Amino acid sequence: MDAIDTMIGMGRETIDMIVDAGSFVENGIPGFTLPCADYGPGAVVGSAKMDGRVCTIVANDAMPSNPRFPVVTSGIIGMEEGYKMAMAVYRSIEADAGKPLADKRPLLLIVDTPGNGPGKVEEIVGMNKATGAYQLALAEARKTGHPVLAVVIGRAISGAFLCHGLQADQILSLSDKYGTMIHVMPLTSIARITKQDIEKLTALSKTNPVFAAGPEFFFRLGGVEEIIEAPDAIRDCVLKHIDEIYRLKAERQTDRLGPWGRGELGEERGGRVTRKAVMQRMNEQFAAVADRYLRA
Amino acid sequence: MALNQLHFEFAPATPRAFPVAAVHYGVVGSGDMEVIIEACALAGKTQVTVTTPVTGFDHVWQLVLGRFIDESQLADAHISINDNNATPVVVSLRLRQALLEIGE
Amino acid sequence: MSTWHTLQERSFLESSARQRAIGLVDAGSFSELVGPLERFVSPHLPILGEAIEFDDGIVTGVGLLGKHPAIVISQEGRFIGGSVGEVGGAKMVGALKLALSIFESLQQGSAAEAEARRPIVLISFETGGVRLHEANAGLLAHAEVMDLLQDLRRKVPVVALIGSKIGCFGGMGFIAAATDVIVMSEFSRLGLTGPEVIEQEMGRNEFDASDRALVFRTTGGKHKFIMGDCNFLVGDTLADFRRQAQHVAQMSMIEIEGMRRIGSRGAVERQMKLVAFAADLRPRDSTDMWKALGNKEPQQLIAASEEEFQKIAVRWNA
Repeated sequence: MDAIDTMIGMGRETIDMIVDAGSFVENGIPGFTLPCADYGPGAVVGSAKMDGRVCTIVANDAMPSNPRFPVVTSGIIGMEEGYKMAMAVYRSIEADAGKPLADKRPLLLIVDTPGNGPGKVEEIVGMNKATGAYQLALAEARKTGHPVLAVVIGRAISGAFLCHGLQADQILSLSDKYGTMIHVMPLTSIARITKQDIEKLTALSKTNPVFAAGPEFFFRLGGVEEIIEAPDAIRDCVLKHIDEIYRLKAERQTDRLGPWGRGELGEERGGRVTRKAVMQRMNEQFAAVADRYLRA
Repeated sequence: MALNQLHFEFAPATPRAFPVAAVHYGVVGSGDMEVIIEACALAGKTQVTVTTPVTGFDHVWQLVLGRFIDESQLADAHISINDNNATPVVVSLRLRQALLEIGE
Repeated sequence: MSTWHTLQERSFLESSARQRAIGLVDAGSFSELVGPLERFVSPHLPILGEAIEFDDGIVTGVGLLGKHPAIVISQEGRFIGGSVGEVGGAKMVGALKLALSIFESLQQGSAAEAEARRPIVLISFETGGVRLHEANAGLLAHAEVMDLLQDLRRKVPVVALIGSKIGCFGGMGFIAAATDVIVMSEFSRLGLTGPEVIEQEMGRNEFDASDRALVFRTTGGKHKFIMGDCNFLVGDTLADFRRQAQHVAQMSMIEIEGMRRIGSRGAVERQMKLVAFAADLRPRDSTDMWKALGNKEPQQLIAASEEEFQKIAVRWNA
């Protein structure tokens, strides 16, 4: 494993590294079918086992290009990819409907995506719906009791990370020693668009995690639960966190999971401290006028 | 590069107290500003705080704000302004509009 | 003075976020929550020497539509493009959380009361999504908003009102797509990627961002109505938007769930058919799509008033 210097572009290899040997069956989720074999090729979905337990895998594949939507290459999530990912989630929820919490299969999201389809046809049809659909599906899976865990192994960029990652119960990230990227935009682009000086931004980013690029800064903001130091530690870390998510759900501590839990974690880690104060003030102010609205 | 805060104090000749607790007016668009005027016991004086990314125009603010106080004789009030490169004309206009909001 | 009555006939497009918030609910019923006097300004902009706003560019509050408590979120496009940072994001999240808690507290009473007073959320979008100056906090807030939209499903209708100059793009484009009902005027736009970025990615020959007509044909209210993304196309006054919101407040939750574009396997299957249709058609312009759906005279549709347009336009139907 020492020879690996990056996992970018290695979505499929990562699946094999994490799951029980030879257990991954692409598209093998009960009831899951695709309109054509190469549908949404930038997304890989299927079932696998982890320590013998059946789980659903949703990963990016940076290698193929979508033959029908030319802007979708290099792991970009296009419309077909977004809906394919959403379907994998809905079929997983259906497969375990009615089962107790402990038997709801985990969903593992392997994240290496540079963005959403930025094309004209995408806008004509509504790219925003495809990624929105996948996010809602993940939120539903999480609230239905499935542990949803994301592992960032390469690129987790802006809207694509919102779509594939930020709806998970917990998010892990491979250390940036392996070129892992988590950001909305690189600092150079932020500097250009906000007309800020790049040296100044770079200096500020060392102390202010709020606009800096990289897993470390997301960690401080509560956006990343744990940083994994090396690729060969991914599997064990994933297994540990899936167990932890099962436990928290069994104890009904869902407030510590998902986007809301990351808000709380961000405050604990000192990254986002105004958020909570704003919400508290809103509740106080509403309480003072509530009668007018609840008894009108 | 941080934002600048400027503080001013005026003592109108014939003080007129601000008749409501507070008023807010304006949007901090590019070349624009917002203002909050609040009643505040200041012994007939009015204080102004301006928060702005722009430096080097303190005397212009002094002039524009002074004219507004002269016109309105606004007293016992605190004025808070968030500015984003508003011209003196826009500043005067927004301050007068803020007063109009309360029917002054 | 911005009284409610004068606001009603005002252009939605030209109004400020606060005027929209006041005018979208019943006369005199709007109470702003965490308004400018609270001075919750961005803790991140001053470090960058960037101007701040006392409400951080988002107006939140509560009003009434008849007996229905209406939680209002209204974004201000003139302040840093309506971008969402830590404070603005927290205001959105807090308001949605409040809608949920109002719903839950009403459930304690009689079922008839709870139904008659079922809350509604109105979000007036004017944004390109994440505020780059505090990008990471903005991104995390987007995910929280999406999470709450799922919590509110089948409980509290969430209505997207898109009638602003900037429209709704970026991460907020996902959020709007995930609401229950989308109301637009023909003068506003909804999408993910803004025109400049498409031009940059595809070249000017493919997409000329300075061509206003093209930009509106691609993401404007009329096109979104044909695609089924916009449920109701309305005129440009605050009254037009308010009346539509009032109408949704009275609809049953089952009817409202049926207006969704996404949020279930069935809805995703319908969208996949639309994607397949587009893959076969390979439209070079949204009007290629209009024609393929049976709209023979796209020019006539572009010129039509929104009332006439809704009568003659053939919409996508899976």
